[in-house]
Amino acid sequence: MNPRTKKILTLAISVVVVIGVIFALYLYAGKEPFIRTTLSGLTLGSLFFLVAAGLTLIFGLMDVLNFAHGSMFMLGAYMGWQLYTNPTFIFGLLPTILAFACGVMLTTVMKPYLIRWQISEKWQNALPKIAYALALFAAIVGFLGLDILGLAKTAMVAMTTSTAGNPLSEISSQEPLSVYWYRPLLMLISGLLVAFAVSKPGDKTEFAPKEKVLPKLVIPLVLLILTIVSTLIRESAPETLLLMNGNWRFLIAILLAVASGFLFGAITEMTLIRPLYVRSFFIVLLTLGLSYVIRELVQLLWDPLAYQMSRPPLFAQSGKAANLLDWLRNGYSTIDISGVTFPTYRLFVIFLGIVMFIFLILLMTKTRLGMIIRAGVQDPQMVEALGINVKKVFTVVFAMGVGMAALGGIGAGPFLPIQPQMGDQYLMQGFITVVIGGMGSYVGAFVGALILGMARAFGDYFALKLSLSPALAEASTVIIMIIVLLVRPQGLFGKKE
Amino acid sequence: MAEKMIKPRSGLKGFIKKEAIFLIFIAIMIAFPFVLNIITGTGLNAGITKFWQGQLITFFIMAVFAMSYDLLIGYGGILSFGHAASFGGGAYAVALLLKHWAPNILSNYRITIGNLDITEATVLLVVFLVVILVSVLIGLLFSATSIRLKGAYFAMLTLALGSAIHILSKATDFHKWTGADEGLHGVPLPVWLNPTQNRLTVYFIALGFLLLCYLVMNRMVNSPTGRVIVANRENEERMRMIGYNPVIYRTIAFLSASIFAGLAGALYAIWNMSATPTMTSTVTTINALIMTILGGMGTLVGPIIGAGIMQIIGQFFYTWFGARWPLVFGVLFVLIVMFLPYGIIGTWRLRKSSIKNNIQKFFRLFSKEK
Repeated sequence: MNPRTKKILTLAISVVVVIGVIFALYLYAGKEPFIRTTLSGLTLGSLFFLVAAGLTLIFGLMDVLNFAHGSMFMLGAYMGWQLYTNPTFIFGLLPTILAFACGVMLTTVMKPYLIRWQISEKWQNALPKIAYALALFAAIVGFLGLDILGLAKTAMVAMTTSTAGNPLSEISSQEPLSVYWYRPLLMLISGLLVAFAVSKPGDKTEFAPKEKVLPKLVIPLVLLILTIVSTLIRESAPETLLLMNGNWRFLIAILLAVASGFLFGAITEMTLIRPLYVRSFFIVLLTLGLSYVIRELVQLLWDPLAYQMSRPPLFAQSGKAANLLDWLRNGYSTIDISGVTFPTYRLFVIFLGIVMFIFLILLMTKTRLGMIIRAGVQDPQMVEALGINVKKVFTVVFAMGVGMAALGGIGAGPFLPIQPQMGDQYLMQGFITVVIGGMGSYVGAFVGALILGMARAFGDYFALKLSLSPALAEASTVIIMIIVLLVRPQGLFGKKE
Repeated sequence: MAEKMIKPRSGLKGFIKKEAIFLIFIAIMIAFPFVLNIITGTGLNAGITKFWQGQLITFFIMAVFAMSYDLLIGYGGILSFGHAASFGGGAYAVALLLKHWAPNILSNYRITIGNLDITEATVLLVVFLVVILVSVLIGLLFSATSIRLKGAYFAMLTLALGSAIHILSKATDFHKWTGADEGLHGVPLPVWLNPTQNRLTVYFIALGFLLLCYLVMNRMVNSPTGRVIVANRENEERMRMIGYNPVIYRTIAFLSASIFAGLAGALYAIWNMSATPTMTSTVTTINALIMTILGGMGTLVGPIIGAGIMQIIGQFFYTWFGARWPLVFGVLFVLIVMFLPYGIIGTWRLRKSSIKNNIQKFFRLFSKEK
């Protein structure tokens, strides 16, 4: 049989099977439960997709199994929740982080001058070490006496002792500027020292052209301005933010979660994972250790408790909207979809997943970066040989994947309990999705996420109907994965090696 | 000029010389409860002596579990995330049989040889045979489903299978037997094996178990089969060319590791008198992984040291850093992965001479003669 007919035949058979399964489910469950279950399946599938898309791209491009992805999902939820409930913590730490980033970003400016330094080999080895030690010292002094745990507890307090409707009553005071000012400064110095160490003073094997300093200065300068602004508005910003419209605040929370995920991913890739590409086996161990550390850190900051994040006003008004327009105008919490009452927030999650899928399609097919990524999935060495800075692309893809996981986390925030283990299950399902869809294929991730979401939703539905435990629905996804692996080991959309 | 050949010594003498550190360790562990008793004077089965015996029992059992993981990851080069399935499988097999089957047998039947009543011993023997059977089955499940897979897909499959077994162990459908989320508690045990009444016995049983497992595994990895497993890790294609079937040797590695893990799990269930879903969870696998990496992969002694660090030093960390001590541990783990990829024992073996030289140099600083 010629491959083309074979392909068409497979496609036709799978379409028939899918339609048959959907029809059978529809007949068996009845109209109303079918629609409801399908919608919850889509919600779950959307979250699975947000986790799996990053995983699959990261794996496809750099062969890294990121076990910390679930923790990053969780971290996104925590960051968004912090900002939405009480942003004191975030504004208290923001200046120091920005200052440090500003210092580190000056690497590109410093490097051309530092590597041309004439110093002996002894100093070449010793100077970075000294700089690292001093940077650590500066950072420790910078944070000494800062009550991070107290800052972290503010949102927790806001959750527990909520004096109905007045979020401003829980804002806790921060250090006055006269005490605080030296912390960002020390972090800036620490970042500069790190930049000094990274650029390897005196190392003649390094290469960095001297020309065009000014364009390189733009990012550090912007960061510096942001540092100064955030230092100045540190005390008043939480109040302003809490007085803001809840919907806007939620949007800012989403942006913050994505930004922090992006930044965290970029830093992780550059500092921890990059040195290990030569020993790829250890990357898995590193990400495992990282997820361990992140979870413990979160438990240290916010205690091992589960929090409930309140929904933004657009999804909070009790009542049932007749249609989309009615909902958008009045912000009801449920909506009527052909006779089925469905929570509007979950509709928003489905929307998020679809938007991200469209974004990914556009990014991968219409932009230069997407082209490089697609080429890199096929053969990274070849792409590097063609003169493309693959390292940079790796960092961007890793950061993007983590950012998407964080987006999933904050998206899940208002309807899942926010707790340290919340990412584990999604990591697991994300991995299964990736395996079903085929590693490295974002379309595969989308289809796999849909299948898994539906399997989970209908599994739960049947478990309830047949009075079985929901655990069996959870186990059913594993069975799907094993079947796919036995029939098509490279996944539905994966390429045969 | 003929080079002087270094012959490996054979026989008992060679064994003692080769395994000196391990034998010294065993001797210290035998003496430990008695010495601690003399120092503190609280009695062998009370107070701090009893507490540290408990810590060491956990350490011995986890050391065997970590060693079995080392068979997989260090010697077989198989990164499995479902190893806890065997551990928990063994634990659940023991707990289920002792709780739901053994009391029935013990009250209805008597097995005697002359005047000797061996009913209890027979029941325990049967239970342990079942444990081995269960571990073999779990090992077969893992190796059979993963024959065609490699690398990341393989890791994913083991992770998914492991979590499927974890889900089953806490499914509410089997609440009557497994106790679902809470697990199976209050497993009835004969008095001589009861860890609260006769902890010293359990201590020596666990120590003997560690010794036995170490010897068997040591023999195994140095046997021709073990060599083939290691060679399989290095280059599967070449092994196939020479005429060994990699699938068979991978299955052997899987099964043996699974059996040891199952036995460790069984003993762990007896020592805790319970089996809980935590024992089948990925966290348990990752603990074994951390122990193995800390000590050094592919060394067998390494996992023991790793388990010791995690168990004993973890206890001190707990008193120093409070409930969040795993944070310190996680940071330590990340640092070790970054800077000491061969673990403590592996690094020591690699840099033995230079470390010794440095130590000598250090001591020479204090001596007057130069």
